[in-house]
Amino acid sequence: MRGLRIGLTARILAVLVVLGLAVFPLYWMVVTALTSNADLFGEDAQLLPDFSEFGVFVDALAEGKAGGWLLNSLLIAVGTTILSVGLGIPLGYALSRFSFRGKAVMTLVLLFTQMLPEALMVVPLFSLFRRFELLDSLIGLVLVNSAFVLPIVALILKGAIDGIPRELEEAARVDGARPFKVLTRVNVPLIAPSIAATAVIAFFHAWNEYVFAVTFIFTPSKQPASVGIANFIGELGTPIQTIMAVAFMFTLPAVAFYLFAQKYVVAGMTAGAVKG
Amino acid sequence: MTVLEQTKAPVPRPANRRRPSPLGSKWTPYLFLAPAALFILVFQAVPLAQEIYLSFTRTTLLNPTRSTWVGFDNYVRIFSDETFHKTLLTTFIYVVACVVGAVGSGLVIALLLNSGFRGRGVARALITVPWAAPGIAVALIATWMLNSQYGIVNRFLNAIGLGVPGGSILDSPRYALPAILVTTIWQLFPFTSVVLLSALQAVPQDLTEAAKVDGAGRWWTFRAVTWQVIKPAVGLLALLMTIWSLRRFELIWLMTKGGPVGATETLVIDLYSQAFDSKELGRAAAIGMVGVIISFIVITGSRLVARAAEKGDV
Repeated sequence: MRGLRIGLTARILAVLVVLGLAVFPLYWMVVTALTSNADLFGEDAQLLPDFSEFGVFVDALAEGKAGGWLLNSLLIAVGTTILSVGLGIPLGYALSRFSFRGKAVMTLVLLFTQMLPEALMVVPLFSLFRRFELLDSLIGLVLVNSAFVLPIVALILKGAIDGIPRELEEAARVDGARPFKVLTRVNVPLIAPSIAATAVIAFFHAWNEYVFAVTFIFTPSKQPASVGIANFIGELGTPIQTIMAVAFMFTLPAVAFYLFAQKYVVAGMTAGAVKG
Repeated sequence: MTVLEQTKAPVPRPANRRRPSPLGSKWTPYLFLAPAALFILVFQAVPLAQEIYLSFTRTTLLNPTRSTWVGFDNYVRIFSDETFHKTLLTTFIYVVACVVGAVGSGLVIALLLNSGFRGRGVARALITVPWAAPGIAVALIATWMLNSQYGIVNRFLNAIGLGVPGGSILDSPRYALPAILVTTIWQLFPFTSVVLLSALQAVPQDLTEAAKVDGAGRWWTFRAVTWQVIKPAVGLLALLMTIWSLRRFELIWLMTKGGPVGATETLVIDLYSQAFDSKELGRAAAIGMVGVIISFIVITGSRLVARAAEKGDV
């Protein structure tokens, strides 16, 4: 009995250590933002945030360019979400419900796109974008981000549609609904949780994307937050508190959204991962 | 991977070809996938084809439209270059350590969380935090935490008497790669543990109970029952971690740019600096293709292994 209790205590301690490690860096981001210069560069580390320093968040938004960066990130992410989910639903449906020539090839292509590094594709895409005048535009980033997240979105949605009994579609078909209507009326409402999951994945893929944004955007006012924040690294002019405040405002939506939609995202990711 | 092996129930053929079938014509599936396929063609297939072509040419970033065909020259050059051998070795170490670290820590944490205790749901949600945090923010906070003078890591290491000589971890050829590995694994472990946790939930409780009743030790029960159930998920995670680690860029680039003295230079970092610092697009493309070919071999190989294993089991 006693051995069991010790085992349980050890287990709970281990879980607490893991949780501490998981959240510490983000906690440290907040602490750093909320520490005065004197304390930050003092002899001993300050382990607790000083909430009287909260003005740094307000200042970072008001003075700096951070507000504009976050807005650009939001626009790119919303555009990417709409486009990739909009294209991913019919693709997932076609892969799930029809048998057609080239289906196996299409599925393979979707899998193999997962191994192409952005850093490799950035050079040819640069010349492509120059030709179509998509450089230095948020629309260009929406297009390229959508293309990169589309395969995983489609594979997850294919898995979700696989799980819907075909009989549900039959009724609508008997009523004479065209295939597209069957998809929007029958399947889409039923896979809403998976659509939400893929929307979160697509949104944060674009929100976090860096390589294309840093290469294709030249005008500072069009930069998304990922580029703005990355430029802080190794730069000396901006106070570290401001940097951490901006980074935290960039991180918080991603983390909050994942915690909120965790159940669906994890289900979607694992389904996509296990099947894909 | 199993998706490909799944056989679909054949779509019922229309009895009368004249009448529009309830599923639409045979062109219907193509209408559904055409927009997405076009997208992938334009933004993935065409650029990849261009990159393959570039890898056989000498092209500079200063004049990217003029390429000279050089055949396999770029490949011959990179493979006879000793720094590239080092890059390959670094990539290998990085990938293997990421796979072992992320899958191993994920498995331990999944086993920890798999038992019932109060607050399990909260714990499960909180461990996803590193996975949700944007890579840029992670690179930034990691760099700050590893700062030689004011970083919390060095303050802590000094306090317990394990301070790194010279102080700066990311500037040390010896410690930079381990530091990047820890950061990478910190970001990946939520994903592997959540996937493995859901795999563990498929382990039949009565089987583990039966094993216990039969007097089997914990280790034996794990190997004979649990491991057999979660093996496919472990294999799949190992594959995903390999592919993702082969293409990971921004975390390494922002923390060390491949330095110091190439200690953290993986294939993708090498390719990026060849393209944008040395402006050698052809050589960069060849380096990138080496990475893509390695990924390709890993994916194809693992599919073959999985298929053989499936046949062996039946």
